[in-house]
Amino acid sequence: MAEKGSMPEQALAGVKVLDFGWALVGSLTSKQLADHGAQVVHVESITRIDLSRANRMTSGSSATNPDDKPWFTHLNTSKLGICLNLKCAPSKSVIERLVRWADVVNANMVPGALGRLGFGYEQLSAIKPDIIMAEGSAYGQTGPMAHEWGVDGTGGALSGYIDLTGWPDRGPVGPNVPYGDVVLPFFIATAIVAALDYKRRTGKGQYIDASMLEVCAHQITPALLDYEANGHLQTRNGNRIAYAAPHGVFPCRGDDRWCAIGVFNDEEWEAFCRATGGPPWTKEPRFATLNSRKENEDALEALVAEWTGKHPAEEVMRIMQAAGVPAGVVQTMEDVAENDPQLKEREFLVPLKHPVMGVFGHPTPPYKLLKTKAQVKTSPCLGEHTEYVCTQLLGMSDEEFIELWQQGVLR
Amino acid sequence: MADTLLSGFRALDLTDEKGSACGKIMSSLGVETIKVEKPGGDPARAIPPFLHDEPDPEKSLHWSAFNTDKKSITLNLESNQGQELFRRLVEKSDFVLESFTPGYLDSLGLGYEALARVNPRIIVTSITPFGQKGPYAQYKGSELIASAMSGVLVTNGDPDRPPVREGPDSIYFRSDAAAALGTVIAHYHREMTGQGQQVDVSLQEVAVSRTSSNLVAWEFDKRLIKRNATIRTVGARATQWLWQCKDGYVFWPYMGGKGGSRGNRALSQWIDDDGLDNPLKKVTNWEEFDFAAISREELDVHQEAIRNFFMNHTRKEIAEEGFRRKINAAVVNSPADVLEDPQLRARSYWVDLEHPELDTRLTYPRHFFLCNQTENFVRQRAPLIGEDNLDIYADELGLSGAEIKALKEAGVI
Repeated sequence: MAEKGSMPEQALAGVKVLDFGWALVGSLTSKQLADHGAQVVHVESITRIDLSRANRMTSGSSATNPDDKPWFTHLNTSKLGICLNLKCAPSKSVIERLVRWADVVNANMVPGALGRLGFGYEQLSAIKPDIIMAEGSAYGQTGPMAHEWGVDGTGGALSGYIDLTGWPDRGPVGPNVPYGDVVLPFFIATAIVAALDYKRRTGKGQYIDASMLEVCAHQITPALLDYEANGHLQTRNGNRIAYAAPHGVFPCRGDDRWCAIGVFNDEEWEAFCRATGGPPWTKEPRFATLNSRKENEDALEALVAEWTGKHPAEEVMRIMQAAGVPAGVVQTMEDVAENDPQLKEREFLVPLKHPVMGVFGHPTPPYKLLKTKAQVKTSPCLGEHTEYVCTQLLGMSDEEFIELWQQGVLR
Repeated sequence: MADTLLSGFRALDLTDEKGSACGKIMSSLGVETIKVEKPGGDPARAIPPFLHDEPDPEKSLHWSAFNTDKKSITLNLESNQGQELFRRLVEKSDFVLESFTPGYLDSLGLGYEALARVNPRIIVTSITPFGQKGPYAQYKGSELIASAMSGVLVTNGDPDRPPVREGPDSIYFRSDAAAALGTVIAHYHREMTGQGQQVDVSLQEVAVSRTSSNLVAWEFDKRLIKRNATIRTVGARATQWLWQCKDGYVFWPYMGGKGGSRGNRALSQWIDDDGLDNPLKKVTNWEEFDFAAISREELDVHQEAIRNFFMNHTRKEIAEEGFRRKINAAVVNSPADVLEDPQLRARSYWVDLEHPELDTRLTYPRHFFLCNQTENFVRQRAPLIGEDNLDIYADELGLSGAEIKALKEAGVI
């Protein structure tokens, strides 16, 4: 496939993306394309610093250097970065050339904001009628809430996702990782790539309007149907689910160590009983069927916890999995980053060198195209490719480049 | 009917509950998606809830939710005849979606390499707990197990109780979106080059890919972020994001800097207008407000005032008055509230689908996103078991009535 010594071909080689994405949704959308070989020109400005370039998440991150934020890097691998102040009038001519160059425009500003800058779909499709443009937002581009700003949990709260998470006797909780902000980009990127294929077949471009609320609401469809059809209003239920028992997170030996176990059918229950060495309680009729285990779930969980508590979490997982019972250690980030042999063998985190932060792990796309593998490169420093993009990709003369530079447009 | 983004392509969907939303995304894009079920039906049809609480493979609302717009055929892949029929279908298809334990399809002579010999253009997307290869590849998994193994679960829940799962099957859903994305990227490449391939999706990796902010905290500072109920740690300070109000809960992330400035200022004003004690008033420049620069005690005082404020208001007040004041809050909706949400209604988010066999009609989400040139909508209820056997086996593969009868009797279909 590949010539000797050259990089192997990537799935989206040749696709060109003008990227106004920022924060999480926009950045992660274009990252999917860039990691698979699309040429992504990520437009930033020192006058409007990206959320993830400002957040001092780690102790080595300064208040002043936009290039010492590893979070930004995780979200923006494999892209070219240029600086362009969209509020400066001459930026328009640069954007026009970038739009002519691009197949795709990606953005996630508050709906209407890009249009006010002169770069909305109407304006950009007038320059290039077959452009594919995607905008992600919290609520969508239309409707009474369209212009409202939102973050990750906005979609989570309004969609029912948060209401369904937690214990029945307490208020809802949420994990310390995003959901809405990270599920929406997969849908937008899917739409963009499908639109590229649609354009190949029909010659037509596309405008894509994707809302976090709508994508998040989609995943609770079973609860919606249960309410409509049966009048059951589902709510928080801890770790229990209707079709498995035991199904929970059980304490293990050590400080705050846990193992998740799920027994979904009779075969797995028999395997579970074997795995625990078959203590007398496993033979009690009250635990013999899924229905009876569901009825006696409190007692069942207490007995399971008694058994798991005698073993390290890793051992519980090993014993259970060897017997054919779904089980997994509740891993910390240390476990995930340092000790997980599965993630290691699959090279989920690739160590890459960043010019400011040095070598650290960069996550690869969690869906592997086995012939045209993703090739993750580190993120651009602020404005790192401004000159390259202007003079090489857009063919701008040195004189014009210098003039724009002096006018403060390219910052 | 308006066009869809991927009309004219066909997928064979062998997945169970781990992968069914992937096929649903593909079918909403216009891909003719044929669920290939074992005789008797996909085991995932046993997942509750059921219509009228009657356990029946044709009444699983869980199955209905994630299999809209698909066709269904039954086929015993473990029989020689079944394998032969499947290969003939693969010749006429563009995608195979599957979620079997790695190696199972290979053992039937239907793994990627074997299918690629039948149809080199085929794209096989595999959605499994830990991926196709590696020491855990044969491990069993589930939503909860993937969450546990990813570092997501350890960050969710009350500190005095075990880590707790996300209520909806969020990891399945997002993994299926990842799988659809990988499939479509592979499709684009296939259309450019003629070359198919396998797409390998690991539920664990999809979940790990959410944890960037915690990963960098570990990698750079050896700091572990644990579950803390309604408190979220993004950066230097842990602040409260979920609050109790008079009649429910509200999402309002207390964030510093420019991102939080507008909402913070508006909330502070509202606290003032309520005549409540307002320590937030001391902040003069919200744009520059940095949690790293204030003390833990000062932050606690702020949050106590915000807690009191929200307990003073109903969900409705926070939704309506909060919107007018631009505090950037979002109320925590129940599934019933979601169906009434004015924003979703204004965007024609819902579609009623007829279930004539069940004598009912149910409202479903209509779209994942909107496009101006295409309508990538949910249009039809999920299929009955083997509903399209005749169409596919007789019309598409040209089997005679006698042949179909014989296959039925042999338990192949």
